[in-house]
Amino acid sequence: MQGHGSLRLFRRGPTAEFRLCVLAVIALALIVVDARWREALDPARKVVAVALYPFQRLVLAPRDAVDTANNWLDAASLARSEKAALQQQRIELAQISTHAAQLSAENRLLRRLLNISEMVSQPAVAVEVLYEPPNAFARHLVFNKGSSSGIQPGMPVIDEGGVVGQIVRVTPFTAEAALLTDDNVSIPAQVLRNGLRVIVFGSGVSGKVVVRYLTGDSDIVPGDSLITSGVGGLFPAGLLIAKVDSIERDAASGFGIAVASPMSHPERYRHFLVLRVDTPTSGPEASQEAGRDGSTSDR
Amino acid sequence: MAQPRIDRRPPATAGRASSLSALEPIDTAPFRRPSSTLFVWGSLILVWLMSLLPWRLWQPAPDLLLLVILFWCVNEGRRVGMLAAFIFGLLMDVHDAGLLGDRALVYTLAAYGAIILTRRLQHFNAVVQAVHMLPVIVLAEAVSTIIHAWLEGAWPGWGWLWSALFTTALWPLADILLHLPQRRQEEIDSGAA
Repeated sequence: MQGHGSLRLFRRGPTAEFRLCVLAVIALALIVVDARWREALDPARKVVAVALYPFQRLVLAPRDAVDTANNWLDAASLARSEKAALQQQRIELAQISTHAAQLSAENRLLRRLLNISEMVSQPAVAVEVLYEPPNAFARHLVFNKGSSSGIQPGMPVIDEGGVVGQIVRVTPFTAEAALLTDDNVSIPAQVLRNGLRVIVFGSGVSGKVVVRYLTGDSDIVPGDSLITSGVGGLFPAGLLIAKVDSIERDAASGFGIAVASPMSHPERYRHFLVLRVDTPTSGPEASQEAGRDGSTSDR
Repeated sequence: MAQPRIDRRPPATAGRASSLSALEPIDTAPFRRPSSTLFVWGSLILVWLMSLLPWRLWQPAPDLLLLVILFWCVNEGRRVGMLAAFIFGLLMDVHDAGLLGDRALVYTLAAYGAIILTRRLQHFNAVVQAVHMLPVIVLAEAVSTIIHAWLEGAWPGWGWLWSALFTTALWPLADILLHLPQRRQEEIDSGAA
């Protein structure tokens, strides 16, 4: 307590710069390594994330409790409105399912004809949004399940509208997904109307995705639905991605850009499905899984 | 040299200060009583827990954790320093799912700025201290933003500058709140005297 000032003057004065240099160099090294080689720091990140998890749950507990109470109170009215919606849906679905059964029978026949392996129905994990990280540079969501539930980086995330995004990082108890609109995400897609293969990119803007590098003769018009093509192996074919809003032709570069709105709504719901597809990084567990399912991937 | 700082003089009460007003320029720095260790670390951990809540989604939101770290760097430099700032920064990096080391760098740089300004800041009240801290916080945040912009190839906008301004604006409030236990102690002492 006494000698407070003098001690600091002699003992800590000269070392402050040294400490700064050491810590700043460590921080800079971490930033550069993390930006260039994503996986390199993941073990360290996992350890910290596991330690953080109880605290995150602790501070979010009041919010979850309020949510639970609200849900409980709203349950009756929610059940009524859901019942009405479900009844309507059931009628609509009855027609669609008849149609789908017919189509799938026809499809099975055609596939057998073409000697294409049957598309396996994917096992999935239901996840809930834990929180949205405050990050100005990326559009991500953090879910409440991680590698302990079999989630691996690369797996697609869907809701009832279609593709929501892709898992980019997992820790034992949480998983981080990049949304469709994140500008680092790209998905091989197809125009539903004519089968034109394109790639859908995130635009970095909320609620918009873009299809870049359209040549002048590409047959894509506003109103077209974009679905996953299954090319590349990560996203199973046939998931709805987005609906095209407008086409912008750039006379200078000769390429056009189609702007589309995603059909999924990551901002509206808290529950999503992660499809447990084989990812290149999932290693022996995934192939074991595939073996158990009786299907092997021939990549 | 250190002699004037070892000062066992009890804190001047309001009445005695007016009678000794002629002496004020000699020693304007008030006698500082150290905060309790429990209070220092308790406040840091509380603010860290608050920072895990989703209110920081609004980009110009003030960085309360940075504010409290800097405050303790200035006022309790022997306990809270750059290492603590670095570790809290790493924890926030993992929570924010950002680049590992980003907040750690900001907190370390700002803590260094606070530490080199410590002796100067002791002579000023909280508002002037806040004016001193503004460039420190803005510079530290700017370094991180520039590194980010360089790695991402895109400028993120000026929301971070507002965040730095709000953080600085809260400095006087932090001064009032975090010195509350000492004020109370001083009141008890002056009452006894």
